[in-house]
Amino acid sequence: MAEKNRYKWPSITIFVIIATLMLVIAVGFTLGFLSENPDGLERVLTDYFGEEWLENLFSPWIPFLSWITNDYVAGIIGIVLSIAVLMGTFYLITRLKKRNLK
Amino acid sequence: MHIPDGILDPITTIILWIVTISFMILGYFRMGKMFEKEDSEKIIPYIGVLAAVIFAFQFVNYPVPGGTSGHLVGGTLVAIILGPWASVIVLFLILVIQSLFGDGGITALGANVFNMGIIGGIVGFYLVMLFVRLLNNTSMKKELKVTIATAIGSYIAIVLASLICGIEISVGGVIPIEIAVPAMVFWHLLIGLGEAIISALIIFYIYKTKPDFITTESMLGVK
Repeated sequence: MAEKNRYKWPSITIFVIIATLMLVIAVGFTLGFLSENPDGLERVLTDYFGEEWLENLFSPWIPFLSWITNDYVAGIIGIVLSIAVLMGTFYLITRLKKRNLK
Repeated sequence: MHIPDGILDPITTIILWIVTISFMILGYFRMGKMFEKEDSEKIIPYIGVLAAVIFAFQFVNYPVPGGTSGHLVGGTLVAIILGPWASVIVLFLILVIQSLFGDGGITALGANVFNMGIIGGIVGFYLVMLFVRLLNNTSMKKELKVTIATAIGSYIAIVLASLICGIEISVGGVIPIEIAVPAMVFWHLLIGLGEAIISALIIFYIYKTKPDFITTESMLGVK
């Protein structure tokens, strides 16, 4: 029961965050509080070299998830991946630290 | 501020990878005592919430005057919640996931973690600590002290990180330093306002709803 309660509010909060993000994406561009303009570094690079130069930079790999162009799908997958990776890593860290203490 | 592959020269890339890995190893050993407590697993679900918040806010690009946009980096925010050393590991993991989507390069990951995790997280945290101690001389409520200090600290940290980023991209000769640094700092003086407001609002909200989630209160020296 305690285990269930421990995850209840974090789970609800995560669903609320995902729902809010979907809503923000849906209406954000229309209302103008979201922007597709380049960020600070992209702006500096495109001002100096142009957009084409930035798009043709050499990279040693193709990002695994770069085929996802839909904002909604990318948002959900990104959040789920972040939660899984961070929780997994910090779970391992706490286990390792406790084991070292013993 | 995510540096893509192909911008940095090999020496800068390697040096920043070494620095970042050193900070992460140090981070593991110096991470707060909360990860060693008997009930430390309690915090894990909240780390999941924090991950969702950071990724969601990094996804949302707000407009900045002049045809640019900005988004939350969250280094200082994470550092205030989980501690400065844990923030480097959190930012590393978030940046790895973002690089899978093509946001920031894989070879430039060391530089990106250095800018956003070490400058944004560790330096940002100590700036917040400095401002909290200055604000301790006032009669403000403690949540207000931390909120204001967070706004100022995260703003300075972002501008500082943009300055360092400008130096990094000019070291390899991609853009002359006299162009890269002023341009990066100029845009981040505007973008940083969003970082300051979002970070401060989240800290204020946590203080009002679940204050014990801010694990660095004693470290910050807030009275």
